[in-house]
Amino acid sequence: MVPLFGQHQFGNSRISGDFGFNGMYYIPDSLIGAEKVDSKVRANAFLNLLYSNGGFSAGVRYEYYQFPLLDFEKIDYKGQGIKYFFADYKNDFIQVTAGNFYEQFGNGLTLRAYEDRQLGVDNSLLGARVKVTPYRGIYLKGVWGMERLNFESYLGRRDYVRGVDGEIMLGELVPKIQDAGFTANIGASFVSKFEKSEESINYILYDSLENATMFRIPSDKIPSNVATWATRLSFGYKGFRLDGEFAQKMQDPNVTNEFLYRKGNSLFLSATYSMKGFGVAASFIRADNMDFRCQRWESTNNLLSINNIPAINRQYTYQVLANYSYASQPNSQIGAQLQVNYQIPKKSKIGGKYGTDLTFNFSRFHNIQQTPVAEAVRYGSMMGTDGYTSGFFTFGPELLYQDIGLEISRRFTKQWKLILAYNYITYNLELLQGHPGILKGHFVGADLQWKINNKHSLRLEAQHLYAKEDKGSWIYGMLEYAISPRWFISVGDQYNYGNPDPHKRLHYYNVAGAFVWNTTRIALNFGKTMEGILCIGGVCRAVPASYGAGLSITTSF
Amino acid sequence: MKKLIVMAIAVLSFATLSAQEIGKDQHLAKLPAVDIQTIDGKMFNTADIQNDGKPVIVSLWATWCKPCIAELMAIADEYEDWVEETGVKLYAVSIDDAKTSARVAPFVNGRGWEYTVLLDVNSDFKRAMNVNDVPFMCILNGKGEIVWQHTSYAPGSENEVYEIIKGLVK
Repeated sequence: MVPLFGQHQFGNSRISGDFGFNGMYYIPDSLIGAEKVDSKVRANAFLNLLYSNGGFSAGVRYEYYQFPLLDFEKIDYKGQGIKYFFADYKNDFIQVTAGNFYEQFGNGLTLRAYEDRQLGVDNSLLGARVKVTPYRGIYLKGVWGMERLNFESYLGRRDYVRGVDGEIMLGELVPKIQDAGFTANIGASFVSKFEKSEESINYILYDSLENATMFRIPSDKIPSNVATWATRLSFGYKGFRLDGEFAQKMQDPNVTNEFLYRKGNSLFLSATYSMKGFGVAASFIRADNMDFRCQRWESTNNLLSINNIPAINRQYTYQVLANYSYASQPNSQIGAQLQVNYQIPKKSKIGGKYGTDLTFNFSRFHNIQQTPVAEAVRYGSMMGTDGYTSGFFTFGPELLYQDIGLEISRRFTKQWKLILAYNYITYNLELLQGHPGILKGHFVGADLQWKINNKHSLRLEAQHLYAKEDKGSWIYGMLEYAISPRWFISVGDQYNYGNPDPHKRLHYYNVAGAFVWNTTRIALNFGKTMEGILCIGGVCRAVPASYGAGLSITTSF
Repeated sequence: MKKLIVMAIAVLSFATLSAQEIGKDQHLAKLPAVDIQTIDGKMFNTADIQNDGKPVIVSLWATWCKPCIAELMAIADEYEDWVEETGVKLYAVSIDDAKTSARVAPFVNGRGWEYTVLLDVNSDFKRAMNVNDVPFMCILNGKGEIVWQHTSYAPGSENEVYEIIKGLVK
């Protein structure tokens, strides 16, 4: 039987949409640091509507974040209104977009306008975009726009972004290349921001309370236009693939780089090889002074960021590691990541009937090496100078993050499945979070699934982080019961038993339930939550440190 | 709060409207046409997702999403049988961005998945499909019409997917 549910279209017209509501009733809890808030009931809500007819489409999003969840309040993602709307026309030759749009050039080193709704990131551009395909295999793009800044008005803004990007897919252009099994793409992009210069920049640097130095950059030394450009290449043959991109940035004195005049650059390399049952991926990144924003005084999270230097480490959703996930450092990072996947074959002696999946992972990131220029040494500050010189492939003295891990996933029978993971994490608390020390943590995690029958299943998650630094050791357990495909219920507790301060050895318990009907999901939860990532009933999202009851509804139609 | 209520009503009326039968011209929606990429870096338009008149499963997933992986692994165990019995084809559209998209191919091959994998690095397809969270799955009939959509994964829900596909080829 086929349920006649779903989106319908009338002729060629189609209307679709999605809606999300995320509300919370906050209860103060001084122990975990959940403060008393002025509005106890808070919610984020949005509604997207899309219309399409042949090559034409248009869309609008209404957002209601007037009393947003606390973590959104903290990042000033607060307000309501229509901050996303567009009209788009597309045929085989051209695509024209007017209004808001998301776009990425290459790997995003020069331009990445994107959204991550759970994090409160929306870097969409308001303006126009044209994509042209003059010949099969040649793709050109041009964009002009102002980047969204939360709910603030675009009126009176004195900054905008423009850029062009071209990509040639040689395999499509010359069919012989493709027929021989090769793919080869080359691309280049150029992005420039305009920001009206100020009268002068005055910056006070305190050595101590008594000794302050005042720096001044005169107006004519502040660039109004800052450009970045990049070239990239990718090459593939059978299971092998190589990608590389190199980007450079002009002088861009801004608050994130202490107004220095050194040019920026970034190199991103990735090589992968895979065949059935085996895969290996290695990547490398170097970023030197590449924080690139619409406004020179903006430094919060990635507000008004034009580009995005990717954090290439493996990302985990483990509860006890939520506080120690690596954040990309666009102004100073060099590092590499290696991942190997191997499947011990099915029906083999070691692999078992269903095979066993192994994932090995290693990543390590440092800051870049810097030798201050003579002028910077003399001033005691890099401000207004060329700052430093840096050996391109030299790792800097500070380790930012390291992760060595192994994950084993095995299905024993149709009913039982187990995932085991071990990680050794080194995390620089000082440079990544601003409080002293380096955390060295041993992590062990287990995820045991028991499929009782076709409808009922039980899942147990157990995690342990052993560490002496920061908040010390954690233990976490969660039991989830699912009645497929509609119901989920879970109970969990995270216990900071090893906190160096005995008064802070706290429990963070959570009870949750979810109901799913086709594309609609309604979830309720009650408990204490640490800042991190929460997964219930098959969906994961970021949550703030809080105590209380939450309701979340999402649907699409 | 008032605005929120207005919004809720708007949503409800839209949902009802789209579920109602209006006129003869009405038929089930097809996939939106969005340019994304194949796993070896070629352009691919999502309107070209098809399977010679046989059913298609489209799964939106990511390498960092545990339930997505659990769902695709559960289907992988049965996929050979499904293909044999119904001729179904599964397109696994990864929403991994530049951070992790290079690792999709080794990830998929390392697990021996037989799916057709596509990359939606800019989330364009995800947005056009009005998808809030992954995992998200939809089933197309032989005419390419969307007959079923679902969000999240519970062990065993792959059986429902199988029942629907079987119903389509009868």
